[in-house]
Amino acid sequence: MNKGMAPRESEGMTPIIKTVALALAVPITVFGLYIIAHGHLTPGGGFPGGAVIATLVALFLIAFGKDIGARALNKKMFSGLETVGLVGFALLAFLGLGSSFFNNFLANSPGLFGMAIPFGPNPGFMWTAGTIPLMNLAIGLEVFAALSLIIILFFTEGEDK
Amino acid sequence: MKKAIKVGVLALLFAFLLASALLMHEFGKPAQTEMDNYFIARGQEETGSNNIVAAVVFDYRGLDTMGEAAVLFAAATGVFLVFRGRKKDE
Amino acid sequence: MIFEVVQGVLLLGIVATAFKALNNKDLLVGTIFLAAMSLLLSAEFYLLQAPDVAIAEAAIGAGLSTAIFVMAIKKTKRWEDEKGN
Repeated sequence: MNKGMAPRESEGMTPIIKTVALALAVPITVFGLYIIAHGHLTPGGGFPGGAVIATLVALFLIAFGKDIGARALNKKMFSGLETVGLVGFALLAFLGLGSSFFNNFLANSPGLFGMAIPFGPNPGFMWTAGTIPLMNLAIGLEVFAALSLIIILFFTEGEDK
Repeated sequence: MKKAIKVGVLALLFAFLLASALLMHEFGKPAQTEMDNYFIARGQEETGSNNIVAAVVFDYRGLDTMGEAAVLFAAATGVFLVFRGRKKDE
Repeated sequence: MIFEVVQGVLLLGIVATAFKALNNKDLLVGTIFLAAMSLLLSAEFYLLQAPDVAIAEAAIGAGLSTAIFVMAIKKTKRWEDEKGN
């Protein structure tokens, strides 16, 4: 590819792109967390929310280049987060084993996320749906970490041609 | 000869797609509705979730979601394994 | 009426972008057309009242897979040769 006047690849791209990437970091993260947290009220959930946050990792790697990206983003940490997400999801499923696997034991009970909702159209209440928001959180963590890990490995390992 | 086979296979595929498009039921009116009606009628009060899709994905059909997450986990592990142990100077 | 017209335009756009993505010697251009196809497909999902799938398609199809494809192209090569590989 034509390098031209562009800075060296390992140093990332121009200061304009770096500034925009930094400015976009907070909105993208908040939007992804919103999609994950409101998975039981609005369309979305763990999978798309985790993917939205993972795009931030791709943006950072492209904007800041290999050197900073490889140093700042720890692969082992993402691997651990991935494991935590999947094991947490499985544990939440096993906790309902009192009656059946994946039983929603928190719904409509006086506890965490246990608020009963009126049937039919309603404005949507955050503390409802039992285990579904917690599972959304676990799946969001898992998807974010797995996709970030794949992107980091694709970007940092191997040689450019 | 090769070209004739290609055109034939494509024509067959086109015929199948056209047939399925013509036989398709009307939008919003599926043939089997017992399960949908159950989810729509009972899903909200049983799971407390306004989003019936989330209720199905994480509660009624949770095992599928776990398999999906496990597939993603396996993919990430595979990528990690492939790129592991490669030195810079190789 | 307007629903059918918008849907027809979207479907034609999906077919056209998919054809351009396949039928292009520059793989980078093909990747961008693939991202455009994903975006139109997510709009189509939204019109067919599947917003969950639309959000997932927009995030993964248009965002992440484009980044991964671009990285893969950077590590291999950008142009298809005459034999098509």
